[in-house]
Amino acid sequence: MVSINYSLREVCCKIVYYGPGLSGKTTNLQYVHSKVPSDTRGRLVSLATEADRTLYFDFLPINIGTINGFQAKFQLYTVPGQVYYNATRKLVLRGVDGIVFVADSQPDKVDENLESLANLVENLSEYGYDINELPVVIQYNKRDLPAVLPVEELQLKLNEKGWPYFEASATVGNGVFDTLKLIIKLVLEKAKSTSSPKIAPTQKAAVTPAPPEMERVPVEQVDAAPVSQTSPESSATAGSVSVQAAPPTSQPDGAGVHPETEEDSAYRPYPGSVEEKSRQKRISQASFPAATRGELDAESLEKNIVSDEDSAARKSRDATVLPQMAPSLRRRGLGKKRGFFKRLFGVK
Amino acid sequence: MTDDSLIIYEEQINKIDTLLSKMLKGCEAKCALLVDKDGHLITRQGFTHSLDTTALAALLAGSFASTKEIARLVGEPEFSVLFHQGKKDHIHMSIVGDRSILVVLFDDRTTIGMVRLYAKETSLELAKVFEEITGKSGAKTGLSSEFADKAQEKLDDIFQD
Repeated sequence: MVSINYSLREVCCKIVYYGPGLSGKTTNLQYVHSKVPSDTRGRLVSLATEADRTLYFDFLPINIGTINGFQAKFQLYTVPGQVYYNATRKLVLRGVDGIVFVADSQPDKVDENLESLANLVENLSEYGYDINELPVVIQYNKRDLPAVLPVEELQLKLNEKGWPYFEASATVGNGVFDTLKLIIKLVLEKAKSTSSPKIAPTQKAAVTPAPPEMERVPVEQVDAAPVSQTSPESSATAGSVSVQAAPPTSQPDGAGVHPETEEDSAYRPYPGSVEEKSRQKRISQASFPAATRGELDAESLEKNIVSDEDSAARKSRDATVLPQMAPSLRRRGLGKKRGFFKRLFGVK
Repeated sequence: MTDDSLIIYEEQINKIDTLLSKMLKGCEAKCALLVDKDGHLITRQGFTHSLDTTALAALLAGSFASTKEIARLVGEPEFSVLFHQGKKDHIHMSIVGDRSILVVLFDDRTTIGMVRLYAKETSLELAKVFEEITGKSGAKTGLSSEFADKAQEKLDDIFQD
């Protein structure tokens, strides 16, 4: 998906070079890296094996400069071509905006090409992407080799959908830039067409550098959103951590939503295990001082509620830096130490 | 499909930056990056001048993605925290909402416990900001046609054999 960042003023697109092993995907990137001015490109990151076979991906960021006040950035990725690396190959496709399918033109590689293409469709569909809706360019690579298949034959076999194609020879650079230019063009056109025609005026305003009315729109929604979110969340977590007796009045401002309790709702230790006991302890420790660390009977629960309100009040008092944890930690630590020395020296 | 573009406004970035710098101050870490799971850098705070943050973002997202796949293989939905320990510098990554990763780089001036504590807290607050972002992008904006045309002109200049 195209990422538009109004703060860094950049538009970012992800283009993936896909294809069978040894078809020349990495060579494509290496050529681009070697020919493009150094202020335009970033470092070519290559996660390869010792034999220079791509293990995870190659990555080359390209910045084509400022357009309408926004930096247009493209991230070029390759995938590992070998069948064995399908798991990592799939990961690279996440959030892809455009695909260059690099096919090997040699006669004995036709099956591998077909297999890789089928694999591409399958991997895309696992992310819920439809290849018919993505910009795709086919590159018939290795045209400089003798005895390659004619393009017409390759077209018949590989290009049923009628994608645009180029003949290329990545080692010497023929067709590499043509492929890249076309895919960038298609990606930008696609990004343009996904915006609905209804919001055409705002769309224009969005691209011109930070008009004041564009900034104001988010503010209202920012303010409105948390109010509706916190209340169901807090009630849900209160139920799940088995402190049911706590009435909703104890957390009117959402102060009762502790990070620990929220995560605990998803985490399930084995019943009766040490972990579960310590978890119960942790809940009471996190919310209350050392006194109420025992069983959750009605009396202690009442104490809990009171101390929870205490913590809420404390929170509002020093609401500067993450007030939930620092004070409670200190208090708990002090209480423990005193108890320890008292026991150690028998002081009453 | 590609409709779920990530569009972030200055207002929200400011909010995110405030949260990040607050966290950095609290846990005394070196720097923090917020990275999209697709590998795009959303924002950064702290001492990032000497870092190639673009490559870092892509690699961190890749590393997180592979960890997610590992999690799936062992029957977990995903691992929410990832930690790399080095000799001097360490990296703590934690998930924010459903599409971004909070990365904290720190050294021996602080401890993993402090970083975890603050990162956890900040992740929750960031997740709220991201919910607003995704809720907001219902009103979709996109690139103007002008943008594509101008980009095309630039491409011819840059990509020459």
